[in-house]
Order: sequence, then C-alpha cells, then structure tokens
Amino acid sequence: MADTFELGGRPVYTGAHVTRRQDDALLSGQGTYVADLRPGGMAEMAVVRSPIAHGRITAIRTAAAAAVDGVIEVITAADLTDVAPYPNFAAYTQTPGTFPLAQDKVRYAGSPVAVVLAENRYIAEDAAELVEVDYTELPAVTSLEAALEPDSPRLFEDWTNNRLLDLQPDDSEVAAILAGNRVLRRRYKMGRHTAMPMETRAALAEVHNGRLHLWCTNQHAHIARTTLSYVLPLAERDIRVVIPYVGGGFGLKQHLYPEDVLVSWLALRHRRPVRFVEDRAEHMIAAAHARDHMIDIEAAIADDGRILAMRVQVVQDLGSAEIFPGAWCPALTTAAHMTGPYDIRDCVVSVAAVTTNKTPGGSYRGFGVPEAVFALERFIDEIAAEVGVDRLDLRRSMLLQPADLPYTTASGALLDSGSFAESFERVVEMGEDAYRQAGAHYRSDPDSRVGVGYAVLFEGVSPTHHGASAHWMGHESCTIEVQPDGGVRVASGVTDQGQGTTTFVATLTADALGVPIETVRVELADSDATPYGLGAFGSRQAVIGGGAILLAAADVRGKVKKIAAHMLEAPEDDLVIEAGRVHVAGSPVPAVTMAEIATTAVIRTIDLPPGMEPGLEATARYEPELMEHTPDEKGRINANAAYANAAHAAVIRVDLGTGEIEILDYILAHDCGRVINPPIVDGQIWGGIAQGLGGTLYEDLCFNDLGQPQTAFMDYLVPSAVEMPDVVIEHFESPSPNTPLGMKGVGEGGTVGPAAAIGNALAQALAEFSPQIHETPLSPAVVRAMIPDQRT
Amino acid sequence: MTAPKARRVEPSVEVPISLTVNGEAVEAMVPARQLLADFLREELRLTGTHVGCEQGICGACTINLDGEPVRSCIMLAAQVDGSAITTVEGLSSEGLSPLQQAFKDNHGLQCGFCTPGFLMTLSTIDPEEYPGEEGIREAISGNLCRCTGYGGILQAVRTAWDRPQDG
Repeated sequence: MADTFELGGRPVYTGAHVTRRQDDALLSGQGTYVADLRPGGMAEMAVVRSPIAHGRITAIRTAAAAAVDGVIEVITAADLTDVAPYPNFAAYTQTPGTFPLAQDKVRYAGSPVAVVLAENRYIAEDAAELVEVDYTELPAVTSLEAALEPDSPRLFEDWTNNRLLDLQPDDSEVAAILAGNRVLRRRYKMGRHTAMPMETRAALAEVHNGRLHLWCTNQHAHIARTTLSYVLPLAERDIRVVIPYVGGGFGLKQHLYPEDVLVSWLALRHRRPVRFVEDRAEHMIAAAHARDHMIDIEAAIADDGRILAMRVQVVQDLGSAEIFPGAWCPALTTAAHMTGPYDIRDCVVSVAAVTTNKTPGGSYRGFGVPEAVFALERFIDEIAAEVGVDRLDLRRSMLLQPADLPYTTASGALLDSGSFAESFERVVEMGEDAYRQAGAHYRSDPDSRVGVGYAVLFEGVSPTHHGASAHWMGHESCTIEVQPDGGVRVASGVTDQGQGTTTFVATLTADALGVPIETVRVELADSDATPYGLGAFGSRQAVIGGGAILLAAADVRGKVKKIAAHMLEAPEDDLVIEAGRVHVAGSPVPAVTMAEIATTAVIRTIDLPPGMEPGLEATARYEPELMEHTPDEKGRINANAAYANAAHAAVIRVDLGTGEIEILDYILAHDCGRVINPPIVDGQIWGGIAQGLGGTLYEDLCFNDLGQPQTAFMDYLVPSAVEMPDVVIEHFESPSPNTPLGMKGVGEGGTVGPAAAIGNALAQALAEFSPQIHETPLSPAVVRAMIPDQRT
Repeated sequence: MTAPKARRVEPSVEVPISLTVNGEAVEAMVPARQLLADFLREELRLTGTHVGCEQGICGACTINLDGEPVRSCIMLAAQVDGSAITTVEGLSSEGLSPLQQAFKDNHGLQCGFCTPGFLMTLSTIDPEEYPGEEGIREAISGNLCRCTGYGGILQAVRTAWDRPQDG
C-alpha cells in the first residue's frame, strides 16, 4: 500500500525548512480575510440574540428597527419561508431541527432571533437594539447532571428526554470481570472551553451572474457549499464558496453557522453584497463551545494495579445542540480513546450526549481526546496511589511495546505503528531530571511545592467525517495541471486556517513532480477551482490530502516521462525528473524542460507520441482503505487512517499561599510519523500545548442557574507570552505502513496531554494534603482550596 | 420579559480630522462615533489593522500613534486629529523590515491575524526598557496569539533584538 505513494525521486523540500508561502503578505498587512472584503454596494447584517436561556417567543416587533434611516430590512424566522432546517443524517440521534433563526423557542442566551440588514454595521447594530421580543421564560437546564435527570425540563418537546445521543452497549462481559475483582471508581470532569481563534467568524455573500458567492471563514469549501444547497432553495451548481485567509479555525469554524445562511439569503433577496462580521462578545455566546465532559470510570484492578477491565460512562454537555454538523462526535471520540496506548483488552463505554440551555457545543482541537487522556492518566496515578505501586512502573506494565504492534484496541482502533513506550521513557528521563533540579531549587522554600506529572497517549488522526455528520466519509482530492510554460497549478479540497496547508501542498507537489517549488501555484478553498474534498478537520490534511497529491502527481509524472522519452528518444525507465528537467539518470544533458514537455502536451500536440491524448493534468482522490465509517455489531470502529502518539511531562511549582501553578518545565515527545516541515510541526505542537494549558489552568465558560453566560472575553484567559512556558520537544518518527509516506497528523498531540500531565504533577506536589484532582480548570482558587489553611 | 424599549437613534455628527497615515497627509470628515480601527479599515482601506475583540484586550488592532502603541478599536477616529499614525502597511517601504524578516525566519506566525498587532507593538517600544528574557515576554504580553504558543514569536523577538536565549 505504501508503495503506491512515492515522491518519485529524491526529495528536495520534504523534510526541510521550507518557508511558508503566505508570510510576506501576512507580515505586511496584505493578507485578505473575509472582514477585509468590501465590494461596492455592500450592506451589513447585525443579529438580534436572545437574552434568555430558555423561553417561548410570544411576539417580535420589528417596526421601530425597520424605520431607522439606513435600515434595509429586518428579518425573523417567519420570513424564511423557503429555507429548510439543517438536515440530520444520524439515525441514532434525536433531531434538534436546527433553523437559522429561532422559530418558536429560544434554547440558549445568544440564540439568533432576528437580523437587521442596514447600510453599515453601526446602523444595523443600533437598529438591532430596537427589535422587541417578548418571551415566556422556561426553566433552564444548565448542567449535564441536570440534563440527565428524568424529570428535567426538555429543550425539545418532541423528544422523550434531553439525550440527543444515548448509546448503552452490552457490558455483561466487563461486568463479570468487575464482579470478581477489586474495583476502583472515579469521576472526572473537564470544563467548558472554546477554540477562540483570533479572527472571529465572518461571512460575505453576493450574487454574481445569477449565482451565490459566499466568502466565509468555514474550514470546508465543499461541505459548506453542499450544506447551503440543503438549506437554501438553490442548486449546488449555483453556489460558489470561497475561503480567503482565515485567522485560525481549530475546529470552531467547521460548522456552517446560521449567519452563513442568513447573509446568503439576504444577498439573494436584495441582490447586493451582504457582510456579517461577528464581534467578540457575540463570539463568546454564539460560536461553538467545546469539552464539558463527565467521565465515570469503574475498573477491575489486579494486585499490582494493572487495569483488567474498564466500564466507562461518557457524558457530553452539548448545549442546545443547534449546530451543523452536530456536536456529539467528541463523546464518541472520547470513548474510542479510553484505553490509551495500554494493553487493556476489556473496556466497554456507554455514551450520552445531552442538551442544555447553553451555547451549542461543537468542534475544538482535541475533539474528545483531552477528556479521555485526563480521565485515564489521572486514574492510573490514582490507582498507583491506592494500590501502593510506582505510577511509572504501573504504566510500564500496561504500555504497548513495539512487539505488540500492530494492535487493535478494545474500541477497534488499529495502532499499526508508534513509539508509545519509547517516547514515554524519554520524557520520564527528562522529566525526572528536571524534577530533581526543581526540588533542589525550592527545597528551602516553605511556601512552594514541586511535582512532576506524566501523560502518555495515542491520538486518532485523519478520521472519517461520518462520526460527526453521518453523511460525509473521508476522502480528499487533488488536481495537478502542468501549464505550457512548465508551471504547475495544484488544486485540492484541503484548506488553510494558518497551519501551513498551502506550503505543505506546494512542498509535496514540487517533490512529487521534480519541479522547483517556486513554479507551483496552490489553489485551495474555492469550490469552483478545486475538486470536491472535505477540508480541515481531525489533523487529516497531510495524510489524506497528501495521498491525493501523490496519486495525482504519479499520473502526471508518468505522462511527463512518456513524452520526454519520445522527445529524447531514450527509454522511459532510464529517465529522472530533477529541478523541472527530464534527462537520463546520470547524464544531465541532453534534457527536456517541463515547459517543452507541457508545450508539447497541450499546444504542439502533433509532437506527442503516437496515440497519446493531449493534456498534462490529473485529478486523483484518496480514501484510506483501512478507515471505517460505521461501527461493527460490538461498537468497534477503526475511525482513523492513522494514530499519532505523544508523551507529556510537566514540572510545576505550586505556591501554597496563592494556589498558583507555575510551570517550570514542559517536555513533550511527539510522534507523527514522517515529518514534512519541521518548523511547522513544532509550531503545531507549541500552539497545541498553549491551548491545552489554557484549558487546564485558566479557561472555563461558566453559566449561572438561569443559563446566563458568566464569562466575558476578559475573563476567558487565553494564555499570553507570560503564562506560556518554554517547551522542550523530542521527535520520534514511526512511519505508518498504511499511510502515504508514513505520515500521521500533528495538529492535536500538544493539546490533548496538558490537563493530565499537570493534574498528575499537582497530585504529586500536594501529596501531603491528599488533594482530590478530578476536574479542570485547576485555577488558583481551586488549587488553594486543596491546601489546608493551617499547615504544619 | 421584554427587550429594552425603543429609543430614538440620533444621527451622528461628523467631525473634520487631519492627520498623517504612513507618511501621507489625510483629511477626512468622520462620524463622531466612528472607531479609529473602522476608519483605517473601511475608509482608508488599510485592512492590515485587524479587529479581534473590539474591547481592547487582544491587541490585534495595535497601531503606532505618535510613537506609542495604541489599540485602534477603543479610540475614536475623531481623537486622532493632528496625529501621525503608522500601521503595519507602513512598517517597511520595500521588502520586509528586520523585525518582519525575523518573524518569517522563526515561524513567528501561523494564521497571521494577530501578527500586525505584535509587529506594531514591537516596532513602537524601546527594547532597552524590556530587559532580558522576561522583558521580551512582558513586551508582548498585551498581544494574544492563539496559534503559535508564542514559541516562534519569542524566538523572532530574540533574533530581532539580538538577545540570545540563556539556559
């Protein structure tokens, strides 16, 4: 399988520090984001949002707003007569029937109720304040525990409960093991986070030659186009979606939000460009939230602490669930990662995803894995403490060793390669050393305690989309065209939110064709210019997008060699392509250039080998063979094309007076298989760790009992340069035998480990106080409460 | 419950301003309530100044106003009459400045949305006032980045300020 995916020659750019394509533009203020677009005649949209968490709409009065000078129109759900609800393809869930504007009820504070279209945003926002909405308030469900109660108020009256998803697999085999052994039970919770890209959401729609053009911040040009065609009364061929520069996505921009639909609808209705730019206050309540999981573990424990079997219940708080694609998939992903990279054969996980009167949950980097890693890795440390064994030895006794691979986990994940034990031992070596130094440094400080904590993990990358949408699967696409001057146009369904996708596509294309990278033009994220692909999610684009590039390039390369062989009158198999020239291996002259070959292919076709079709381009699609889209009868599924792995170590100092955690050292050993661009990989890891640390120490989206959001941007503490520690990164490269070039995804390995590593470090630092560390965030107030006021 | 009662919306008063932007004289009539960031972006079409929060927290909209780093999302255009402003578009007349080049060489940006704010903050302050490694972190502590984890940015500043990292 891996043989199919070759670079075709000696790589020049793959594995090297290739500088990023967009940097010159971005550094000089020339990168054009959606909010920077301003076509002539543009109007702007502002959204009227529900101020209450749960209630019935009894009246909406728009006349005062509509009368404001400069207001074009005020729209409510009643006006959207030709709009369909977002579809739900998942037969195993209940359906929220999500509509772009609230119809009869509002289910979270921030829910869009009406929109104002005006000549500019100032007027639109003024007028939005004049829209009067009457509500009959209903009791709000504000926690997942409350949502699980049988008599909990229901968000959706036609549902039988608040469980959008409720999977209870047969647990009899595990129950039997639990019954005959010592059992340990713990409950873990992770707070409510959000991706918080520095660019908020934005969308600009206009009608051009009778077609809808939507410029937006979505992570998928084609999925967005298809979804618009489901919701709007438009044929898909009459929609073009373009995604210009995007200021970070991190999963939050995977969803096609109501505002994307509404600007489109208004542009079609008024035949003028309509722009929406979300402000940060809106972003806090209207863009996807994430995490907010509760995980109950029951495990049968051997005398030496080894986990013999686990029964786990995962509950995810979805908020109102009014989002597309739906947001239950992180809970399924948590379930799939509950055994970690350990040999735990018997594990059964039940999953519930419940609705509450909060902003809809959605995608965010990590996507259920940080929750699983936090619960399992804390649990292992707690077992060690309970049983009285060394926590590192306990991990060693269960960790998958090279001889165990390939290994299929209890959830069905096929771990075909990896450096689980090796990466763990490396961070232990470095972590213990750093911990000794920290201990020596702070030994005489009565107000400090130091600790080191570890987390070792695997992480599914390049997943099927089916878990989230029950509709799309997992392929990616690529078209490569060599133009008559020898320059290359490569177009793919992958997209770039800043992670470097464009540079990656250029890198692989240049090496796979044997041309200078400067001659490669990359086209992404324009549904008119690129073949249908699924875009950015799940750290998939290098693996799946890369596979499509290599397949398309192999086709083009084959034809290049055939034409060159004809022109040079040399055997095709003797030829090599280097720096855009084709010649016999070992003798650079005579040679034909890519320009001469392409000119022959598309202009002077009379010179082509007899019978050869004109043209020098190919389109390929790659769908990994081993990726499964639906589970088997036992619920097992290999939902990812690959599995990356990592080991984290955090050395911390706790200030006993304030409860503040200071990170002294952060060490990570990471394995994403073959590395294409080392600085980009390191950047992904650093950025991922920053987001993981933020969620562990600072970030939490809080609601009061009325469902009122309590966390403003100022309170949602995204780490700054002062909070962020230096990170030591160790690279392991265990190529997958089943992926193109052995690549695995890199986007999330940094994000998923910090909560566990820091939680375990804190447990060690405060061991004398027997702290209960089962939840994040570990804010100073939370940590301070673990420390008795009267210390001896 | 009912949303706030209707009130009249008064028309904005326009204010004349005259200033220098990236070395060029600008004269304009601006609505009294127009934010400086909106004036730069929507009227002058200098869209390199990004608006990340509209509440003075994230720092993406930072510009150089008479030599000081200021947040253009919490100032009014009417306030800058008589001032000299530099935006990211005015940082270098040809190619990249050494600071911009350091960001490029050290992978100091990913999505690039926060980048102009970092550049404007750094180009406006005196490195001498931010000594040592701690000083570098302090200097950029008012600018938020969600992509890089600051590793590449810190390295870029160390390079630009010729300040090798000690242990």
